[in-house]
Amino acid sequence: MFYHISLEHEILLHPQYFGPQLLEKVKTKLYTEVEGTCTGKYGFVIAVTTIDSIGAGLILPGQGYVVYPVKYKAIVFRPFKGEVLDAVVRQVNKVGMFAEIGPLSCFISHHSIPAEMEFCPNVNPQCYKTKDEDVVIHAEGEIRLKIVGTRVDATGIFAIGTLMDDYLGLISS
Amino acid sequence: MAEKTMCISQQQTKPIKILKWKVSEGNTVSIGRVILLYDFDGASKEEQRKLKVTQAGTIHKIVAQEGAIVKPGETLCELKECTHPTVMNDMCGECGTDLRKNDVTVAASVPMVHAIPDLKVSEELAQKLGKADVDRLLKDRKLVLLVDLDQTLIHTTNDNVQPNIKDVYHFQLYGPNSPWYYTRLRPGTHDFLNNIYPLFELHICTFGARNYAHMIAAFLDRDQRFFSNRILSRDECFDPTSKKANLKALFPCGDNMVCIIDDREDVWSNAANLIHVKPYHFFQHTGDINAPPGLDKHENDNKLGVDLSKVKVIKKEQTSNNDQVKLNDASDTNNEIKKDSTENSEKDDSQKPETKPNEAGQNGDTTEIVENKTEKQSETPQVELKENLDTQPESDCNTQNHQETKCPENHLIEVEDSDDYLLHLEDILKRIHQAFYEDYDRMESGEVPDLKKVIPRVRGRVLKGCKLVFSGLVPTHIKLEQSKAYQIAKSLGAEVTQELEEDTTHLVAVRPGTAKVNAGRRKKNLKIVTPDWLWSCAERWEHVNEKIFALNSKGSKNRHPPPHCSSPEHIISYPEHNTPAMRKRTPSGRFMDTINPLMSFSSADIADMDKEVEDILDDESDTSEDEKNAKTAAANIEKNEPNRSTSSSSSSEDSLTAEYPKGYKRKREENDLSNDPSNSTEDDESPSIKFRRGEYVGSELDLEPDSQESDGSMEAPDEVDDGEWNMMGAALEREFLSNN
Repeated sequence: MFYHISLEHEILLHPQYFGPQLLEKVKTKLYTEVEGTCTGKYGFVIAVTTIDSIGAGLILPGQGYVVYPVKYKAIVFRPFKGEVLDAVVRQVNKVGMFAEIGPLSCFISHHSIPAEMEFCPNVNPQCYKTKDEDVVIHAEGEIRLKIVGTRVDATGIFAIGTLMDDYLGLISS
Repeated sequence: MAEKTMCISQQQTKPIKILKWKVSEGNTVSIGRVILLYDFDGASKEEQRKLKVTQAGTIHKIVAQEGAIVKPGETLCELKECTHPTVMNDMCGECGTDLRKNDVTVAASVPMVHAIPDLKVSEELAQKLGKADVDRLLKDRKLVLLVDLDQTLIHTTNDNVQPNIKDVYHFQLYGPNSPWYYTRLRPGTHDFLNNIYPLFELHICTFGARNYAHMIAAFLDRDQRFFSNRILSRDECFDPTSKKANLKALFPCGDNMVCIIDDREDVWSNAANLIHVKPYHFFQHTGDINAPPGLDKHENDNKLGVDLSKVKVIKKEQTSNNDQVKLNDASDTNNEIKKDSTENSEKDDSQKPETKPNEAGQNGDTTEIVENKTEKQSETPQVELKENLDTQPESDCNTQNHQETKCPENHLIEVEDSDDYLLHLEDILKRIHQAFYEDYDRMESGEVPDLKKVIPRVRGRVLKGCKLVFSGLVPTHIKLEQSKAYQIAKSLGAEVTQELEEDTTHLVAVRPGTAKVNAGRRKKNLKIVTPDWLWSCAERWEHVNEKIFALNSKGSKNRHPPPHCSSPEHIISYPEHNTPAMRKRTPSGRFMDTINPLMSFSSADIADMDKEVEDILDDESDTSEDEKNAKTAAANIEKNEPNRSTSSSSSSEDSLTAEYPKGYKRKREENDLSNDPSNSTEDDESPSIKFRRGEYVGSELDLEPDSQESDGSMEAPDEVDDGEWNMMGAALEREFLSNN
């Protein structure tokens, strides 16, 4: 799920940037340091929308570095158990398939793929397909899945998904 | 593991009628799976409703039968809790349970997918999937072929390589400032893969890092047709010194249908289903860059490689050292340019090189780029490049190479590469495939033959019916049955006798004039051949025409089989077998040591050497040539003569060989002599470069991790001409004195 929330971040700035462009530098540094990261609590930080305030800088004694506390708003993406999402299939193998939902990668076990879909290793690219070849899921295909579990680490999130529910599976374009 | 069983009971307020069960006992269900269709009993309008499970697990027992009417609260079926048969990242793939939090014993332990070691399945499931694989392979009449990369299909070096050699891929693995790798595909690789692909499911099995393996796979197989995702790299290997351990995981139903091609048998523990490939050697001074730890990377670095430095000399006539140094400079500053051009070339790669005009366009572009880079370019390269394209349309990488050209002259050097081993290998594999399925068709009950038996049998057909006698091949102190040659001949199906007999078909003789040869000359149907004939048969698995290897007056130097002509099923520990490799590994035989003693001989080393010499001198019992050498070496060391390094190295080398049978040394010397012409030419300019490298290590430009070691792999330069040595010796002496 996507959220637009307020977050805080501390920017550590080298003294070489002390000058007229100082605040600009703080801002650009915030973008590079924050966007694309992942925290366990808030999920993936997709984009910084606004920078609300840049607090008073504190010079670290002995080093000369300055620390700016920055408050900003950002769009974050936090996957939840039970959530239904659209994903792009990355790899298909006999044990299941891997899909990506933006920055989030997700594994779907072959038990969680409808039983009528069979793994076909001989065709290129490898795929899961129904007998009548009505539905073919292969790498780069778009699917809709439901998340049944997430592993949230300090640096990333990994999800387990399923295609076993109504309206899940290949998204026909 | 205690499995909890729970009951799924009827949750509705009204009684329901079960219309149809969608699962059967023993099925694995995950959350949301429809298990049965039902309808309210006595409902006014007919409507099928689905009952989904809310928990993952396996259906243990179905209690209520189809058509039965179940009242609220009654049990429908029993569900065993999820046993977590598939685990990814410590999470159950079926129910999404975090297996780190709960104290759950995890049954899943088999990483079945090559490149994803985190994904594990249970033994049971692995068996099931493995069985499905076997069935599918049998249905398609395919076998599994594990393909090694380094020195089997490709040869990679990270020594600085002439940038404009044809058919060499240049790439970096770890970002812009990481070392460059240079990979040459074995001639005929694409054809080989194409022809073998219908018969075998190809897997890559390499000790290279994952990035490396995938990069090479992209070169070999652009649209993932051959290997798909079946790439096993070092990152996924259980055991850093053996690839064997992974077989069980990849093929849970046994390796009956697995055939292996690899240039080293040690990593497969001499498995019977291994076809020991003749190592491909293109770049000199580099062996297998991804050799298993503990083994010398230069172990296979024989002198077979194409001497690129020689090519340099011929094509460019830049022999002076100054130019060489400039070249190094240039190579470094041009790294950035190279990066750009790689990007370009990758784009080129992605385009299919089928259309000629397109290629010509590319061609024009690339030359333009090069022109921008180096302004002194003339018109000739373009013409030449087109010619190249015409002659070899399938190799589109020549444009790429050209882009990365960094030398003043942009000649695209086509290096002659006489390696045609893959043609033979293809033939061998086809024969194995045929033999396997002949067996399979003969077996009735659907049994699967074992390639570990089929392969030795196919090999045993090669010289079937031949009766060999060896002459001068097996040293007298070694039993015939223990000799390598005997084992090879046996594994090829030939019979070997000690003495000439009536029905002997071949006499394998090292030199003319032996009693057996003389006796054999009088026989009519006896073919007298050199040992090379036998090695050649073993290499190609083919009854090679004897005429090519007829014994002539010179005899043969190759008394010992090349290491790849092994016969795994007959392997016994045999000291001679390793000798050539051992010699390369002797620390003091290393070229680096000989060329710059100041760097590599610490005072402790020199003291050791003195001690060694003294030991030998003390040992009065045996006065051999070795000691003379050693004495001179000692004398040289004491006199601090410039060329001491040469003799000291050879002395320690010789003293090492003393451990080996006597007859051995002569052979080695012969070998050295026979190598002479090539060595002397190739070492013409190398020592000076290496010397420079040694001297200015700090400012070394192409200090890649391997470059030092690879220097070391060169052989003792007995044959370097004196002028060069004297010059370097003088420089050494100067430095030595100034240090003191």
